[in-house]
Amino acid sequence: MHGPDISWYLALAVTLFAIGALGVLLRRSPLIILLSVEIMLNGANLALIAFARRLGHEDGQVFAVAVMAIAASEVVVGLGLIVAMSRRHLELDVDKLRTLRG
Amino acid sequence: MSSAAWFCLGLPLAAALVITLAGTRISRRGAAYVSTLTTMGAFAAAIVVFARLLSQSPSERLANQTTSWTWLAAGPYHFGLTLLNDQLSVMMMLIVTGVGSLIIAYSVGYMDGEDEERRFFAYMSLFVFSMLLLVQTANLLLLLAGWGMVGLSSYLLIGFYQERSSAIAAAKKAFVMNAFGDATFAIALFLLIEHTGHLDFAGAFANAPTGGTAATLIALGLLGGAVAKSAQIPLHTWLPDAMEGPTPVSALIHAATMVTAGVYLIVRTHPLFEHALKVEDLAAGLGGATLLMAGLIALVQTDIKRVIAYSTMSQIGYMFVGAAGGAYANGMFHLMTHAFFKALLFLAAGLVIHALTGEQDIRRMGGIGRMMPRTRTAFLIGSLALVGVPPFAGFFSKDSIVAALLSRGAFGVVLAMCALIGVFLTGVYAFRLYFVVFHGEPSEFAREHLHLHGTSEGPFSMVWTVGALTVLSAVGGFLQFSPFWHPLSTWLAPVAPPFAVASNTQELVASICAVFFGLAGIAVAHQLYVAKAAEVSPVLRRLAPVAEHKFYWDEAYDVLFYRPAVLLSEALARYVERPLIAGSIREVSVGFGLGSRLAGRLQNGLVRSYALALAGGLAVLAVVFLTTR
Repeated sequence: MHGPDISWYLALAVTLFAIGALGVLLRRSPLIILLSVEIMLNGANLALIAFARRLGHEDGQVFAVAVMAIAASEVVVGLGLIVAMSRRHLELDVDKLRTLRG
Repeated sequence: MSSAAWFCLGLPLAAALVITLAGTRISRRGAAYVSTLTTMGAFAAAIVVFARLLSQSPSERLANQTTSWTWLAAGPYHFGLTLLNDQLSVMMMLIVTGVGSLIIAYSVGYMDGEDEERRFFAYMSLFVFSMLLLVQTANLLLLLAGWGMVGLSSYLLIGFYQERSSAIAAAKKAFVMNAFGDATFAIALFLLIEHTGHLDFAGAFANAPTGGTAATLIALGLLGGAVAKSAQIPLHTWLPDAMEGPTPVSALIHAATMVTAGVYLIVRTHPLFEHALKVEDLAAGLGGATLLMAGLIALVQTDIKRVIAYSTMSQIGYMFVGAAGGAYANGMFHLMTHAFFKALLFLAAGLVIHALTGEQDIRRMGGIGRMMPRTRTAFLIGSLALVGVPPFAGFFSKDSIVAALLSRGAFGVVLAMCALIGVFLTGVYAFRLYFVVFHGEPSEFAREHLHLHGTSEGPFSMVWTVGALTVLSAVGGFLQFSPFWHPLSTWLAPVAPPFAVASNTQELVASICAVFFGLAGIAVAHQLYVAKAAEVSPVLRRLAPVAEHKFYWDEAYDVLFYRPAVLLSEALARYVERPLIAGSIREVSVGFGLGSRLAGRLQNGLVRSYALALAGGLAVLAVVFLTTR
């Protein structure tokens, strides 16, 4: 077993996840929210890989790769939406985009 | 044999379909000619069937049955689309197609220029087809189908002038009254299936219950159907209202089709009626009552068509008395002569109405005979035939019914007295109509409004058909002159052997009495309306409103059925529908509205609040998992 104990990895993962979640909840710009989502995903990935290494299985790594692929495609969709918004000269503020309400 | 019968049935149906499907691709005149020619073709086919029958022996004639296919199979029951061409149905086919084609030919001129002429002729063809189906089938189920289709066709034609609300009301009235008769007819058929397992004529008659409640109920059900279709008491009130249709429709309903169906049914199903003689007496009694009542009402009507309509009701009463009294051939004979002279009266009245551009009130007519001499002659011959003055058609047929009644004991004598009083009334109302409309100097209204084109009294198609019917009304009665010759009775005897046969003395007495009563009626009408020598006595004058209100049948039905139904439905609406059903539905809808407004508030469009909800949910789940491990 090399390197630090798994608890360090998990602490970092939780910190990353919390930073991302707070970013999603608190920031208004869709671009920043997208970045925060990526940070949350990376926090989760770190936890997956840490457990995989600890347990000696490759499953966690496979999941992490899949998550990265999904994150990439999510970024494509999200950035596409943001580009479309700026083309229509919409204000880049999620609190203003509330047409879909009951 | 068979193909001619199928042609006879199929041609009018084909005409109705062609005219309907062709729409505007066929001219109005074209539709009229298609309808006329196909009905005449059906008449020719009926003659072919008749000629074939003439070459057969009487027992062979009874068995002319052709089945095209099994129409309906239900368990052990098989009902074929079967035609039966025996003596009775061939006679009806000849009357329906013969008189029917004359009336449709007449309509070519009468309906000329009318909007929706095509629809009219399609309906007329459908009417003839329905009636042919009714008289040609060999089982009661198909007879019921034709029965219902006749009701439908009459509904469509009575309500032909859709823009008139009175016409729509009359059509609905006719349909509802007839539907009641259809229902009792259907119940009789259910009972027949239960007791015999057959609905074809031969099987049903052979196995029918010969007495008891079942036989009575079956006969009563059939009688209900016959009474509704033939406009006898108590289901008669639709007939005078049916005058809302165009005049040729009235002629078709009254002369060739529809109202004669009840008489046909009684003669056709006579074995069932003979098992329930009380019902048969009831039918004869209803006929006798109807003929008197209708004669009285006809005395005071002021609409030319309504007078003739009540006269039809009265004459059908004679047929009922004859057919239900056991003199089947005499009833059918009167059906035939009545078809001739009633069609003549209606079509001649149509000439007058046509010339007066739609006026039907006889009080505004008067002295029209001076301007329309040939119409006057035709109407006179029709009236004489109606009253039964020799040598015109009604004399031969009506007197033989009275004579046959005389041979039926005390009840028969009572009915014969009714019939003779009816003859007197017929003389009065028929010649009241004739004298008021045609006699004397032309009235102011007639002089102003009478439009004749040249020397003719109407379009050619209207004149020649009236002429043909005049000839038939004048000489048609000579077909049978009992006791000297009676080919019709001999012809029909294998189908419906009569149980009321008059002796020669009875024939003589009946003839003398009937002619005397009829002439007396004419004389009274002459005194009242031409010589003005007599006045209607004040007592009768005070009774006139009773007849003018048609003996309050409509009012009675209004009080007995219409008002209670309205009261009941209003009470249900007030105490059940509004508080219970409508109320509960309103509460449910208010509740759903409130709930959805609350749920809708959750979706506020703020992405962050959704994310917070997700995070909160996740936190709650995490706490739950951690604490309950």
